[in-house]
Amino acid sequence: MNKNYLLPLDEAAYNFGFLDEYAKKEIRRALLKAISIPGYQTPFASREMPMGKGFGTGGLQITLSIIGVGEKLKVIDQGADDSVNAVNLRQFIEMTCPGISGTEDTERASLIQSRHRIPETPLRKDQVLVLQVPYSDPLVVVEPSESKRKTMHGEGDYSRLLTKLYEDIVKYDEITISHRYPTRINGHYVIDPSPIPRFDVPKMHMSNALILFGAGREKKVYAVPPYTDATPLAFDDVPFRIEDFRDENGKRRVCRRCGADNSFLEESINDAAGLKLHQCSDSNYCNRRLSLSGPARIGAEEGGI
Amino acid sequence: MKKILEIRGLSKVHGHKCPLCCDFTGPKHDTNICRHCNSIVAIHDISLDLYEGEILGIMGESGSGKSSIVKTIFFDEIPTDGDALFFDNNEQYSLFTINAARQRWLRNHRFGMVYQSPHLGLNFSISAGGNIAERLLMSDLFHYGDIRKRALELLSRTEVPSERMDQSPGKFSGGMQQRVQIAKALATRPPLLLLDEVTSGLDLSVQARILDLILEIQRDLGTAMIVVTHDLGVVRLLTGRTIVLKNGRIVEHGLTDQVLEDPQDAYTQQLVASAL
Repeated sequence: MNKNYLLPLDEAAYNFGFLDEYAKKEIRRALLKAISIPGYQTPFASREMPMGKGFGTGGLQITLSIIGVGEKLKVIDQGADDSVNAVNLRQFIEMTCPGISGTEDTERASLIQSRHRIPETPLRKDQVLVLQVPYSDPLVVVEPSESKRKTMHGEGDYSRLLTKLYEDIVKYDEITISHRYPTRINGHYVIDPSPIPRFDVPKMHMSNALILFGAGREKKVYAVPPYTDATPLAFDDVPFRIEDFRDENGKRRVCRRCGADNSFLEESINDAAGLKLHQCSDSNYCNRRLSLSGPARIGAEEGGI
Repeated sequence: MKKILEIRGLSKVHGHKCPLCCDFTGPKHDTNICRHCNSIVAIHDISLDLYEGEILGIMGESGSGKSSIVKTIFFDEIPTDGDALFFDNNEQYSLFTINAARQRWLRNHRFGMVYQSPHLGLNFSISAGGNIAERLLMSDLFHYGDIRKRALELLSRTEVPSERMDQSPGKFSGGMQQRVQIAKALATRPPLLLLDEVTSGLDLSVQARILDLILEIQRDLGTAMIVVTHDLGVVRLLTGRTIVLKNGRIVEHGLTDQVLEDPQDAYTQQLVASAL
C-alpha cells in the first residue's frame, strides 16, 4: 500500500486539491471562459494526475480546481456511488482536500462529479455538476482534422453531423445514437455531452445547476451554464426522443427494487432463471425511494414488477 | 444578358515565384516551368466574363491550366494574383478578398462543382441520397421528409434509379457517379456550375447522356456553367463561347463555332486538326 495514503496531508506534502495553485488558477480561468461561451471547447493545460487518462482526469481536475473547504462532494460512476472508479476518485479527493465531506445523497451534495449519468433528482442552483468526458468534440466522428472542426464549430456548420443522423434514419428508421448525443447549446455550439444516455440530455436544458465538462486527454473544458438552452440535434419531422423502456406490450418497465417508472433503468440477466431484470441506474435515487416507501417486489420478472 | 462572373488577371504559380517566372514561361517558350526558380506557372493573366445561362468552354491539352481556373474560382486553390467578381442577385462579391467564411458560404450555397474524379466530389461512406442531403442541410433544410423528396427529385432528374438512392456511390458505375455528383452540385440551385472534365474516362453512350443532361439543366434552370474539357466534341456540343489555353495562357477565345471552324492561333489549328 502506498504509505502516503496513511500520512497526514502536511506530511504527504500535497497542496490542497493536489494541484498547485497556479494550475488551479489556470483551470478556473479556462472554466470562466467556457461558462462565458456556452458549449465552446476551451483548451486548458491538462496536468498529469496519479491515474491513467481515461479514468476521469478531466473531471477530476475541474473538481479539484473549484472545490473548497466545507464542500459536500458526491462522486458517481454510471449512476452508482459505490463503483470502484467512483470510490477511488472520492477517496482521492477527500484525501487531498481536507475539510470537505463526501456524501452519496444527491440533495445534500454541493459538488457532484459524474461519469455517464446526470442524477435523477433535479439539481438546484447552488449545486455544480462536473462530467468526465472521453471525447470532447462531437465532430470527430465526421471530420478527422481538428483545424477543420474548429472552423465548422465557428461557423455553426453541423450539416455533416446531421447527415449522419439522416443516414441512421435511412438504415434503421430511427436515430441510433444511444449516448454522447450531439446537443446544441445556446443556439450555436454543438457539444458532446459526455457518454450520458439520451435519457439525460433533456436534463441539461434550462438546468438550475451549472454543468461543467472536462476532457483530460483531449485537454478541453466546456460548460452549460444554468438556465441555458440545450437542444439535441434532430429533424423537424423526426424529433429527438429518449429511451422509453417499454416492454413487448408497450408497457413502461419499472425498477424491480423501488418500483420507479420514471427513471433510467439498467438491464441485467438473472442467470439462474434467464430473466431480464431492470433497476434504477441511479443507486442513490433508488435507495431513497426504497427508504421512503419500502421495497417493491424484488426479483420480479421481465419488465420489473 | 446579365454578367455573373468577371475575372481579371488571374494567375496561379506553384513555387517561390521569381520576377522572371512570367517572362520565361508560356506558349512562346513552350513551358510552364520557370527555368530560373523552377516554379510552375499554372495560369497567368487570365481574364474572362460569364453571363447568366451561358456555357463557357475552357479547352486545352493536359497541363495547360484548365482545371486551375475552376479550382481557383471554387476556392480549392488560392490564386497568386488577380481579381474575380461574382454577381449574385443584387449582391457583388470580390471572390479573392472576401473572408474565408464568406468564401465557404458561396462554395456551399451559390457554386456547384463537378470534379473529374467522383472521389473528390462525393462521400463514398454515405449513401447517394446522403450526399445530396449533406448539401441541403448546409442550406438550413431540416425536414427529413422534404430532404428525401428533394434528393429523389434531383436523382431522378439525373437519371439515377430511385431504388439506388440509399446505396453508396461506391457501388455505382462511373457514369452514375458523375450523375450523382451533378445532382449534388444542383441541390442548392446554384447560379454557377463548374464542370471539370465530367465526361473523361466514360464510354461514348454514357458521355452522350451526361452531355444531354447538362444541356437540359442549362435550358430548364438557366444555370451558368464553365465546362473544362480537352474534348472538342464536348466543347462543340455544349458551349457558346470558348477559351483555348496553352501553357497557362489564353491563346485564343471567341464564339465556339468561330474558334473551331476558323482557328486563328497555330496551337488551336493544331488542336482542331488533330481532333479531326
